This record gives sequence, C-alpha cells and structure tokens, in this order.
Amino acid sequence: MTQDAQPPRDPDAPVFDGPPLSLEEELAAARAEPEPGPDIDTVNAELADGINRCPKCGSTDVQLRASTGMLVCLFCRHQWQEDRVEEEFGLGVGIEELDGTVIAGGAGTIAADVADQVTLTCGGCGAEVVVDTAHAMNARCHWCRHTLNINQQTPNGAVPDAVLPFRLTHAEAVERIREFASKRRLFAHPRFKKEFVPENVLGVYLPYLVIDARAETTYVGKGEVQTRRWTEKSGDNTVTYYAADVYQVQRSVGLTVDDLTIEGAADRRDFDGSTTNNIINTILPFDTKNAVKWNSSYLVGFTSEKRDLDVDDLHPVMEEQLLSIGRSQVEGSLGQFDRGVRWEAEQVDVGGSRWVSMYLPVWLYSYYQENTQTLHYIAVNARTGETMGSVPVSQWRLITAALTVGTFLEGIAGAILVATA
Amino acid sequence: MIDVVVMAGDSAPVWILAAGPAGAAATYWALYRYYRNTDKSHAYERDTIIEAQQVTGGQEKVDHVSRTRKSSIDGDNSSKHRQRVQRLR
Repeated sequence: MTQDAQPPRDPDAPVFDGPPLSLEEELAAARAEPEPGPDIDTVNAELADGINRCPKCGSTDVQLRASTGMLVCLFCRHQWQEDRVEEEFGLGVGIEELDGTVIAGGAGTIAADVADQVTLTCGGCGAEVVVDTAHAMNARCHWCRHTLNINQQTPNGAVPDAVLPFRLTHAEAVERIREFASKRRLFAHPRFKKEFVPENVLGVYLPYLVIDARAETTYVGKGEVQTRRWTEKSGDNTVTYYAADVYQVQRSVGLTVDDLTIEGAADRRDFDGSTTNNIINTILPFDTKNAVKWNSSYLVGFTSEKRDLDVDDLHPVMEEQLLSIGRSQVEGSLGQFDRGVRWEAEQVDVGGSRWVSMYLPVWLYSYYQENTQTLHYIAVNARTGETMGSVPVSQWRLITAALTVGTFLEGIAGAILVATA
Repeated sequence: MIDVVVMAGDSAPVWILAAGPAGAAATYWALYRYYRNTDKSHAYERDTIIEAQQVTGGQEKVDHVSRTRKSSIDGDNSSKHRQRVQRLR
C-alpha cells in the first residue's frame, strides 16, 4: 500500500498513537522484518484438523496398537506409523553448533487468550463437534461416529511437536502396579488396601519439553587436603585432631546434553512436600529418540494433559539442571581433596539450546487419601516399564513397628550395660 | 567406638542407651521412605546423554588449618549436585 492510497486525515480530529518514538526506534520499525515463523517447523503437513483416514481403506476408526507401537485401522487391520522426528527434523545432530534458543513450532509461546475448546466440523456429516484440548485430542462425532482429530498446532500449547506412543499395554501396566503395591502391603493404609483397584489405571500423555543444549559451567570453592592426623588424651578418652591445607579451587567443564526432559505442565512441576509429583518425575527418562511426528490418532483411547509452561518459564530450570550435571562431571577431578570440597559459587553459560515439545506416555494410578488430603500416584513409564509410586501408610502400624525395634535394641543395650557394670 | 569402650574401663558407656530411640527413628524413616518414596526423583545427571569435554581448572593454597576436630571440610557439597550456591552472572 502506498501513502497515496490512505484516506485524507481530518486535521481537526484528535490523534494520539502513544509517546513519540526516538529516531532509532522509528528507523528500526521501518526496517522491521515480517514476524518470523518457528525455528523448526514440525507441522505434520499431511494431516489437517478433522478426520484422519486409514490410507488403505479410508476408515476413521484408527488407534494405536501398543504391542507394535503402530497405528492400526480397526476396519481393515492395516498398520502404519509416522516418521521419527529425530531424523525428520534433525534433532539428534548439531548440538555442538547450537546458538541461541531454538524453539520448535509446537513448543512456542502459549497465547493467553486462546480457548482450550476447539470446534471442528465433522467431515462425515457436517455436525459441529467440540474437543476439549486440555484433556483430549480426539472426539467422536455423536451423529455419525467418525473420530475427529486435532492435528494443527494451535497457540494454546495442546499440540506438541512429537508424540511417543504407548508401548506397554493396559494389562502389563496393571501387572506392574499390582506387583509394586503387593511389596508394600504390611504397613499400607487399610483403606488403600481395601479400595485398591489397579485396573482403574489410566493411560495419559503428559506434556514435556525435550531439550538439547550446549553449555559451559564453572565452579569456585574451597577444598581441603589433610596434612596430619593425631590423637590426644583428654581425661578418660582420646580425641582425634586434624591439620589441613586449604585451597581455593576452580573447575570448568563444557558439555552438551541430548534430550534433557522437563515437565511442561505447572501442576506436575510442583515438587513441594504436599504433592507426590516426584513419583512421576522419577519414571523419567523416556526413549525420546523414538518419538514420532504428531498424529492425534496415537491418542485415541488415552487422555492427555495440555502444556501450560513456556520455554521462558523453564529456562531457569534447564540452567539449574545443567549446573547439577556440570557438578557431577567435575566431581571426578577432586580426588586430591581428601577432606572434601565446598563449592561457594557457580556459573552456567548456555551457548545454545533447542526445545521440542512432546507428549510422553504414562500409565497413572491415582489414589486420594482423604484424611491427609494427599493425592498418591503409582506411575508406570509406558515405554521402559519403570514403576514408582507412593503408597499411603498406616501411621499406627509404622509407629508400632518402630517402637518394637526400639524396645528390642534398648533391651540389648540395657543387657550390655548390666553385664559390664 | 571400641577404643572409647576400652578406655572407659570396666563398664559400657551410658550413651549406649540411645540405641533404642535411634533404632526406632531409623526404622520409622526407612519404612516410610520405602512406602512413600518421597526422596526419589529423576537422576538426570546420570540418565541423560551427556558429552563432557575435559575438565579444566586449578587450585591455589590460601590457608592452613593447624588443629581441628572435624574430619572433613565444613559444608562439603562436592557430591550434592543439586544444592545450589551463589550464582555468578
């Protein structure tokens, strides 16, 4: 559009478009480039919102077959799968050359004003069907029974870049949860035991951000080397004394991490004592290298939780984890300090990071303990089978056991005292 | 401990009576942790694919402690990787 095309402005009309810009700002605005797209475009171009059809027969009754990890058409039994994102988007390579923060399309900033509900027009009959993307990415058309899918990335954080399909079946998950709980029967809360129904386990796709990063970490502190050790008599006892040299220690290490995995939902990242979210954290890691391109048919029959944390929210978490990783790397170089090292300051310089959002599969059994108002989880990693859980305890049984052991030990101590008196 | 018992002469020290309460507390904690797993979390320091370059750095003697009863440095955090210290920017 040229200047001439604009309508003539009424000279009497009040005009205010904010405080005047400086010359530099006006020049920058004039040179402004168009809004950039995502750093890595992960949209599955073959799929649009609505109906995912079987490529062979056209049916929409498509879901994941966990035993093979492939999508299966329930009508003609044809099986197929999406490509791995690792090769498709080059996620496994170039970590050493990462520069700045690279964000894939599905990990973009969540817009505050975008609703969770998405209304789709059924491609089969034209009915309007609502999908609540906070909990599910599919819905069945209640008129013609077609399955409708959300495939396009919306700015509400619901559609990730990739999905790691369930591998463990429901029966296998039930078996693992039963085994985990049966080892913890004796001191479990009686009500938990009574109400324990592992068949109620739910398959959930939880949102994670998977990060590749390159960083340089530096630590400064004090280390001590023992120079002498001797004993002195003090009354009836002997006391050991030490002498030591104190060193100012500094260590640096450059490192790259591949597929560091961080929870993308605020509710799951809350690790204070009142939750059992650490249980779900413990079943990490997943084999994220096997994640495939987004196709919401993988989620049919499972629930999902929407991502609500952005890259900016999680950058400090990544930095802390990189610092911890660096600390574990330099620990091996501290052998000479036999009295230990006290780190006093640390620094991380993140050269580059790449963020990809993924739905990862978890079998989740939850139990709400009313008297303590605690939600206990038993979680199974639906790829590796790693199981972790929190079982509510019966306090009086635990205290009885502790008192029994205490009394027994006290009896032995008393007997020793009497015998040696 | 044995040294001390021998030095104390004929009778065992009275603090041996602390074994009862200590054992009771330890039993409670061990069982509680086995059931609730409150101390568990993802060991990302170990379970992530990490490629580290060579560790560099140095040390310089700055002081000498000539007599202390402590067998190790105060506040040793060399293996507490998640205990954060002052951040340099």
